[in-house]
Amino acid sequence: MKILIVEDETELAQSIADYLSEENYLCEFAINFKQALTKIETYNYDCILLDIMLPDGNGMAILEELKKQGKQDGVIIISAKDALDDKIKGLQLGADDYLIKPFHLSELAARIYSLIRRKQFGNSNTFFQNELQIDLLAKTVLVNGKIINLTKKEFDLLLYFIGNKNRIISKSTLAEHLSGDFADMLDNHDFIYAHIKNLKKKLKEAGCDTYLKTVYGTGYKWEV
Amino acid sequence: MKKLLNKTLRTFAIYSLFVLATSVPAYYYVVDFIWLNELDEHNEIIAHRIENGLNKLNLSQAELDQSIILWNKVQPGSNLEKAVNTSNTKPQIYTISKQKPFSNVNNLGRFRCLKKNIEIQKEPFILTIETNVEETEETVVAIAIITFLFFILLVAGFLFLNRRLSVRLWKPFRDTLAKLKTFNLNNQSIITFEKTDTFEFEELNDALTKLLQHNISVYNSQKEFTENASHELQTPLAIIKNKLDLLIQNETITARQYQIIEEINRALTRITRINKNLLLLAKIENKQFNAHENINFSHLAKSCINQLKEHSDNKQIAVQINIAPDVIVDGNRTLIEMLLNNLLLNAIRHNTQNGTITIAVNHHQLIVSNSGSKALKNDALFKRFANSSNEKFGSGLGLAIIKQICIRHQWAIGYHFDGSEHQFTIQF
Repeated sequence: MKILIVEDETELAQSIADYLSEENYLCEFAINFKQALTKIETYNYDCILLDIMLPDGNGMAILEELKKQGKQDGVIIISAKDALDDKIKGLQLGADDYLIKPFHLSELAARIYSLIRRKQFGNSNTFFQNELQIDLLAKTVLVNGKIINLTKKEFDLLLYFIGNKNRIISKSTLAEHLSGDFADMLDNHDFIYAHIKNLKKKLKEAGCDTYLKTVYGTGYKWEV
Repeated sequence: MKKLLNKTLRTFAIYSLFVLATSVPAYYYVVDFIWLNELDEHNEIIAHRIENGLNKLNLSQAELDQSIILWNKVQPGSNLEKAVNTSNTKPQIYTISKQKPFSNVNNLGRFRCLKKNIEIQKEPFILTIETNVEETEETVVAIAIITFLFFILLVAGFLFLNRRLSVRLWKPFRDTLAKLKTFNLNNQSIITFEKTDTFEFEELNDALTKLLQHNISVYNSQKEFTENASHELQTPLAIIKNKLDLLIQNETITARQYQIIEEINRALTRITRINKNLLLLAKIENKQFNAHENINFSHLAKSCINQLKEHSDNKQIAVQINIAPDVIVDGNRTLIEMLLNNLLLNAIRHNTQNGTITIAVNHHQLIVSNSGSKALKNDALFKRFANSSNEKFGSGLGLAIIKQICIRHQWAIGYHFDGSEHQFTIQF
């Protein structure tokens, strides 16, 4: 899988690449508008991470360029600007997702995962892992062919883990993922614990192996 | 408070009253002087005429005596008699007061007299002529009345001119004032004053323009600073966050180290939140949330309550809902959602275990109340970082944002504590 990281902050780009490289993603960098333009003209990427505020141009123009060339690369905008207008404009211009800085790398990885699945598998987007089967479109989970009923949040968490397999994800990261903007305003993150407990229980009762492990007391890891 | 022109008017009126009052005796003396002079001349002419007339007649002594008696009878204003003492021949002029002839009431009149020695057919006579002259008080009263009338005329004229002048002269000033009153630092619109040919007003306008421009530029740079600083912070925050994400993947870290990283993460989330909220406040103040639409407030409130249900459940808080159906408000959806979330989250966070939250919505207001034990400090409640409850979580900006959103929608927000319950009321 090839990923292009268009980001002028090299530290940030490097962190992203470090995190993603373990997932068999091949990351390339473009640190400015010009480089990005050259790269997208020459190669095809499975996913482009696009910072729209570049020193020599607006990332939106890259989206327009991709559209003009009829390219199917998936694009996730990563922006420091939390402006609804930008978000709408980006999505209209063909971006698939919009992520606001600062974000957790696990959040980014989960989004890249689901974006690539969507792009590559189209209508029959089903994930298999031994006895576990997840239909990403229908949002159903089957263990040994039997459907298990997960709540929206449990399903959301499951996908998050699948997108970050073998990675440790802290409780606070999960809290931010699930509650969005107001995670820090809640005095405790015990609600995460409740969701994880239920998810684990449902998977186990259906006969699924315990892939979801607790580490360091409050961290979680989907081990394969 | 008095109007400026009315103040000068008073002074002018008093001054003119003073001048006109002093003019009354002056007029009197002048008029009386002319009056008496004229009468003296008149008496002199009459004396002359009598002397000439009687001499021309060439009467005999007996006829003359007869005529003089007759004369004295028919001419009560004058008296002719033989001079006894001829030593004093100088004519005397004087004024007397006496009963007016032919007047049946007791009416004293002022008379100007001429007593003069004349010769009729070589015989010395004393001729006395008395001519009625206007009394002092009558003259004074007449002059005073006329002066007073003129004074009235003068003041009326002042008032009239004043009104005319104040409309015309002060027009540029009024324009400037009206424009200043509409000026709002938040609006970003520089006001231009109308040109005027009055030096003072032009100077005032120049000074005001400079002052306003300076204010606007200071205000803008302050706002820009908040916005820029917040933006600039995003990237380093992102780098720290991502590095921590990488760090916990390291297999050699211990549980203790993991906990430390997790604590850093929580603090980092808080900084991020503060930063985002500062940016948000700057944006609301900058009117960057211009879009507005009709919003079904009832639906929105219910969906926000549902979203936060698990958090209230987690604290075993009983949520009572009393929402009238289809309350429609005009506003910005993003902001109103933020307002509701902030209010509800506050109600959950500042609640007691097993407490209650009541949410009431009708066409006029939204009331969010929750159980609590201690009143919040009312004066600093909506200020940034006021920390009215001494608690550690949160950005310290939640209520400031709520307040700003209310201001943006021209809603009034109030806080009330009744001993066991915090209550926030928003009037649409």
